[in-house]
Amino acid sequence: MLDEHDPSPNPDGPGVIAPGRDDLAAPVPADGYQVKLPVFEGPLDLLLYLIKKKKIEIHDIPISVITSEYLEYLRGRIDIVIDREAEFLLMAALLIYLKSQTLLPREQVLDPDIELRRPSMDHLMDHDRLRAAAALLRDKEEEQSQVWKRSILNAPLPDEDLDLVEVSLFDLAESFFALMKRKQTEAYKVVKAREISMADKMAEIVETLKSRGVLDFLDFLWEQESLEEALISFFCLLELIKARTIIAVQEQLFHTIKVWLRKDAPAGDGNES
Amino acid sequence: MNDSLKSILEALIFISVEPLTPERIREVLPDENEEDIGQALAGLVEDYAAGSQAVRITASAGGYVFSTKPEYDPFVRKLLQIERRKKLSGQALETLSAIAYHQPVTQPEIHAIRGVDCSHALHTLLENKLIKISGRKEAPGRPLLYRTTDKFLTYFGLNAIEDLPSAEELKKLLQEGNA
Repeated sequence: MLDEHDPSPNPDGPGVIAPGRDDLAAPVPADGYQVKLPVFEGPLDLLLYLIKKKKIEIHDIPISVITSEYLEYLRGRIDIVIDREAEFLLMAALLIYLKSQTLLPREQVLDPDIELRRPSMDHLMDHDRLRAAAALLRDKEEEQSQVWKRSILNAPLPDEDLDLVEVSLFDLAESFFALMKRKQTEAYKVVKAREISMADKMAEIVETLKSRGVLDFLDFLWEQESLEEALISFFCLLELIKARTIIAVQEQLFHTIKVWLRKDAPAGDGNES
Repeated sequence: MNDSLKSILEALIFISVEPLTPERIREVLPDENEEDIGQALAGLVEDYAAGSQAVRITASAGGYVFSTKPEYDPFVRKLLQIERRKKLSGQALETLSAIAYHQPVTQPEIHAIRGVDCSHALHTLLENKLIKISGRKEAPGRPLLYRTTDKFLTYFGLNAIEDLPSAEELKKLLQEGNA
């Protein structure tokens, strides 16, 4: 950590003799900072030399320890000999460079004969076959598009928990606000404010659900005559969801939100509040 | 005896929204022997195919399901208010073919087969649940492996993946098509 006070003057290296050095009481070691590690103790240039000669494994040299100790050493010094410290930086940089070289994966020189892109093309299908397979699937898709199965009707809900994603309030609100933004741009003719009570609206929703089975959340709000009515409808839907009279689910992420009447819905058409 | 078994199966298939699998049938009819069930199912499929009914029973993704016959498509669509059904893009279909024939397969492999990037198509297919991730390959980078799903089978009206023609048969089809 602190500088080595080596009593023997060792005037080698270019940056050793610095102006003003003579006034200092303690003789400063010529080679400045010394590395002190379990595997090596001594000047940095010697360490570099040994690494280059492969006498020392560079992986055993923790560079962060060297640099932090070096900074500590610098802080403890009264004078800074620029030349010598520059030399340290040069060698430390070299050390970092060497170590980073060993850590980074090496790009391998490829045999130009080997086409890397297609590692085992022989057992993969060729393009013609792929086209043929895709055409075949297209035919089958066409065929199936005219065949209808009951799975298309997602209205019957299983009694237990469903695989459908039950949507959160946030999903509903987000959809609603997006819709309202669109609706706002429409010009409205305000004829006369019609009084709509939430109870009426809730009863209406339940009735609609009883006859239609399923409602598209956004379509339903869209159908409303005015912004006010849409707002009320939205609150009614929330209220009904809360009362567990209806359930709002999303068949798949990003699909529209659909609303069902719950099978185990409490009696009273949900407008008991 | 056989006829009553057929009727029971008919009822079970009728009420099933998703293809009714042999496992489910066994749950309901644990005492019936498998051969009888198999025969009854085959008979049922045949009856509907030969009859004048508007619906038929098909083997789909390993199970049995009712569907309407194609000629009623316009009417059904009108009832359900569906103008037309969405189709997969050419990109998605080619990617799906590559997966169907090489599964489980990694994205770089699909890329190699198709020669173009397929990440967007993969995304679409995953979203539509036509493919799924089935694990990772024990190879550098541990890339994800993709497989087709049961929904893939039902979507294309297949009972099993083996229903698709083999690579050799494809070659033959191709030659016939060109001839």
